[in-house]
This record gives sequence, C-alpha cells and structure tokens, in this order.
Amino acid sequence: MMYFPQRLVIEKEVGDSPLVKRILATSPGLPVDWVDRVPENADGENGSFLEIVKFRGRFIKPCPGTRFYNCCGYQILNLGIQCSLGCTYCILQAYFTSPNVRLFANLDDAIQQLTEHLNDSPDHIHRIGTGEFTDSLLLDPLIHLSEHLVPFFAAQPRAILELKTKTAQVDLLEKMDHRGQTIVAWSLNPSEVIAREEAGAATLEERLGAAKRCQGWGYRVAFHFDPLLAYPGWRKGYQEVVERLFSAVDPGGIVWISLGTLRFMPTLKTVIQQRYPNTSILDEEFVPGLDGKLRYFRDLRVEMYAYLNELLLGIHKDLCIYLCMESDDVWREAFGYTPVERGGLSAMLDRRALSSFVPASI
Amino acid sequence: MLDKESYSIQLDEVDWNDTSCLITYGPLPDKLILSIQTVGLIHKPLLQRKSDGLFRIICGSRRLAVCRQLGLSPLSCEVLSISTSPVTSLRTAIYDNIAQRVLNPVEKSLVLTKMAKHLNQPQLVQEFMPLLDLEPSDTLCSRYVQLLPLEAPILDAIAEGTLHERIGFVLSPLERGDRLAFFNFFQELPFSVSVQEELVETVVEIGQRDNFTPRQILDSAEVNDLRRAHKRPARQRAQQIRKQLQARRTPRLTARQERFARETKDLGLPPGVRLIPPPYFEGPKWSLEFTFAGAEELAIRLRSVARLAEQAKFQRIMERE
Repeated sequence: MMYFPQRLVIEKEVGDSPLVKRILATSPGLPVDWVDRVPENADGENGSFLEIVKFRGRFIKPCPGTRFYNCCGYQILNLGIQCSLGCTYCILQAYFTSPNVRLFANLDDAIQQLTEHLNDSPDHIHRIGTGEFTDSLLLDPLIHLSEHLVPFFAAQPRAILELKTKTAQVDLLEKMDHRGQTIVAWSLNPSEVIAREEAGAATLEERLGAAKRCQGWGYRVAFHFDPLLAYPGWRKGYQEVVERLFSAVDPGGIVWISLGTLRFMPTLKTVIQQRYPNTSILDEEFVPGLDGKLRYFRDLRVEMYAYLNELLLGIHKDLCIYLCMESDDVWREAFGYTPVERGGLSAMLDRRALSSFVPASI
Repeated sequence: MLDKESYSIQLDEVDWNDTSCLITYGPLPDKLILSIQTVGLIHKPLLQRKSDGLFRIICGSRRLAVCRQLGLSPLSCEVLSISTSPVTSLRTAIYDNIAQRVLNPVEKSLVLTKMAKHLNQPQLVQEFMPLLDLEPSDTLCSRYVQLLPLEAPILDAIAEGTLHERIGFVLSPLERGDRLAFFNFFQELPFSVSVQEELVETVVEIGQRDNFTPRQILDSAEVNDLRRAHKRPARQRAQQIRKQLQARRTPRLTARQERFARETKDLGLPPGVRLIPPPYFEGPKWSLEFTFAGAEELAIRLRSVARLAEQAKFQRIMERE
C-alpha cells in the first residue's frame, strides 16, 4: 500500500534539497507548511504528515546489538524514522512518540559522512542498511531515494547496501546500474499473519512478485523471517511461505535469510495492547531475555528455528541462514553449530556479501 | 484575597447536592464527631451564595455533615461572594484541604478530575500533582482520573488504604463484573500489591488467549477449589492460586521448571549442594551453590558433584525436550 501523506511539513533550510524538489514535483497540490524547525513531537493525525528536516547527528551507526547475543555487525544508514505500515509488533511504536514519518533531506551530508566512514576502514567489508528505523522503500515512489543510494554503492567495492522492505515498490530499481552492490530484502510472514498483523504492508504474493522482478534485474535478494510468530498452525503457515518463496525466486540468488522470533522491550507491550487490543501476538508466553527484551521461551525459539532451518535447507542446501540476536547455545541447538565455528557471524555474512553470484534470468 | 463575610446559615439553606467543590471522600472521622459534640464547631465552614439562594459548600463539608447529623443549626459560616469564579472556589477548597491533611488517593482523583474542567493538562499537571505529592506526569494524572468511575466498594477500599491505588489503575480498563471479581478475590486472600498487579495481568492475558472473562477464570472450579480450601492458611491458598495461574499463563516455562525439579531430584545431588538454572533457562550460565562447614566437607561435595557431572543424566537436565 503506497504511502501518501496528507500534508508536508518542511524545514526551510532543506527547501532546496533534491529530495524536497522531487517530492514537490511528484506531489503537486499537497499542502505544505514551511517551518524553521519541526518540533520533536509534531502533531499529525494518525501520522498523516510527512516531516522533512535537516538531520544534525550521525547518519551512520552500528546496529544496536547487545553483548549477550550474536550480532551480525550490520551498520545502519539512518535517512528517516517512523513507518506508516502499521505492523502490530513494530518496535518503532516504542522508539518514537510522533506517528509522523520523518525524512532527513540533507542527503549530501549523509553521503559525505558515509564516504568518510568507508574511507576510514577501506579494507573492512561494510554491510549497510536503511531499514532499521523506517522501511527502506516506503518513500521511494515519492522521493526516489534509491536513485541516489544505489549508484553510490555501485561504486563501492567493499560496501553493500541492503534495502529492507515490506512493500513491493521496486519499480525504480529496474533501470539502475547496481553492479551487484545492492541487495533487496523482504521480511516474510504467512499470509494470515500479514493480513492480521501487517495490514498496511504488501501481501506475501506482492512481496515475492517484487523479489522475482528484482532478481530478473540482476539484484541479489535476501529474506528475513523476522519476527517469526508462534500461533496455532505456525508450522503449516511457514511451510507455505517457504514453498511459495522458492516457487517465486531462484534460491541461488538469495544472499542470506535471517530468522528471529518476536522480541520487544517490555514498554512496547502496553503500546501494543492499547493500539491493537485484538491482536493475538501477545498470547504466547514471553520471558525476559539477557538483554531485557521479552522473548518466547527458548525451547520454543529453538523449535521454530530448527524447523525453518530444516525446511529451507531441505529445498536448497547452500543457503546462508542466520539467527538475529541469539546466543550460542540456541544456535547450537537449532543449527548444530555456533557462529564462531564458522569464523563468526559477521565474517559469515561478509563472505556472502562479497560472493559474485549473478542470478540467471527466471 | 477572597471576598467573604460571616453569616448565620440554616443547614436547610445548604445545597447538599452541589458537589462541585467537594473533594473529600470517606467516612466522617469519629474524632471530628467527638470534637463537635464536645466543644462545638471551632472553625467556620466556607460557603458560597448561589443564584438560586442556596449555599454551595467550599470548605468544611465534613464539619457541616457532622453538624447536620447532630442537628446543630443555624451555624456561623463564612460566605463567598456569588461572583467568585468556580475555579477560584475549587482552588480554595483544594488548598484548604491540603494545608490540613494528606488527601487519600480517591480525593486526589477528585481534585484532578474536577480541576481538569477548568485548566489545561500542563497547568493541571504542573500545579496540582506536586501539591498532591505526585510526580508531575500526564500518564499518572490520567491514571488518577480513571479511578473515579470505579465502583463504590473499590473506591472505599482505596480511600481506606485496604486496596492500593495501583490496583485501581490496573482494574480501571476492565469491565465492572471483572473489576468486582478481582476486588473480592483480593479482599479474600493476602497478596502483596505487586503480586496483585501481576495477577491482574496474568488473568487478563489468560482470558484473552483462551476466550474467557477474568471473572470466569477467578470463578473457575480450579481456582475456587483452592479459594474455598479454608482448612489451609490463607497465605498458603494465595500462593497455590498464584502458582496455578502462572502455570496456566506460562505452560512451557512451568513444564520446564517441573522437569528440572524432577530431574534434579533424580540426580541425587549431595546435601548442601543446589543446582540453579539460568533465569527463565535463558543463556548458558548455570550455577552450583555449596553450603559446607569446612574444607574437608567442601572437597567431598566437590568430588561427588564432579562424578555426577560426568553422567548423561546431568547433561540431560540442561537440554530441551
């Protein structure tokens, strides 16, 4: 479902930026408030305002993993915050008080910081994503952000951009010279879960259709079964997703697949209960994890990971499957090995990131 | 300063139905009755003349109620001008009360609810919450305001201090029947406030998952059997019910704990040695606790545990089903 704001709130300082010019050109007639500074918690009915601001902090940061669990060493390129897809479990509900999507329009500053960051450690392999605090492609039809990012990464031999999305808004990617340096990734869940818990996002069919198109354009793709949700019939539900996934895309072109069961800071529980009183995602039992987040009881997590791992490897044995934020003992029980036995999780993913597979047309 | 004059007022001139400035809640204090009975009314109540000729009570509602009960009339009262604004009258009532005593939680709710009609939220929170010894927070303010619609027995218990206002907060979003079911349950069995909060959350979540109302769960045969086992001490019954409800809410964790207890018993650890799993079986760090009288005893226990650690059944304890 395409995001379309009812009003733009733009800081005057970024009025000349390419992103602002683009959105004004693509959305004529949209009411605009020009302001000196957008307050932190600006109004906006149901998050219907798009705030376009100058970001004054660090655009690139390491993913906020914890020392208690294996972190993949991902880096976040933060170009905006909030999301309008309305997933019941979304952690952004607890992170940000304003429901409005906010775009950082000083892209030149972001690219400069990113360049400096990459130059600081030229031998390092950088896996960088824009989908941590918003959906990577949510605003793309409006602002064409990918037109700036994909060519930039195409020129970076040691850096990979991962665009994580729950949309099917990939049209702009078709004509780009990505040189294999951009990975397009989708979060997947069974159709009944998407209908219930991800109601504003693209359907499973739409997501897989978009993935197929991206593969056809030479992109490597990735999939994130995150959050995996336990519900009556979850085995059958995820089995169907896996079957549909491999009937849509070439498994050889999947750079990685991550698994992560539902987890959240305790403060999110109340937010979910208030916003989505009919959701059933809180029905399962949760225990506090080592990082303070509430998680499914470990035996259930292991059961779900082992099931998905077997299902996925049963179809294509060369997949790179990893667990997001899990401990060695859960890795060992679910997968039969720990990341350190394969050089560490970060190195496992770096190797995949640099693999030069270009999928055949399908 | 307030514009007021002294008058002799007949009690049937008081509008007892006008509670716009009433912020007291709870029974009349025995000592106030005794005081008025013994020496009469010492401090004059403050009233306000209304356009219909009756008088609104601003300060001294309990003194007036006692006088009415004792049939003391007329009374010498201070009377505010008819032109005094409603917010000034209410503010006067509040400041008069807080200068004399600590308000109970229901009275705090009355203050915030009534003042909310005259002030915006930031003014209300910044001026009145510190005055009521409350942290100035929008969330807490809303919670106090939500107390007032609760049923009279619950409000009475909160005012008396036999039910904590935190329990009122967690009961407020529930249906009336469910609130009263919890209230009766908590009146009957001795749970701490934090356990009461935990039980409300547990029972509500079981109900949402299994499609029962909280009242149905609290009145279920399993819970009732324990509630009515009057031969057992109340504290023991309370613990058993809590355990039973927790097991129903977290069956996987409970099963794992039971299995752990069973297997640890079968393992035959020496006396003075306790195997402790990680909290919620999360993470790899298991602990052993030794109690010993001296080095020799410790050495014996260590050797014994070392032998056990080599056995397959010791390893099995740490594995999932």
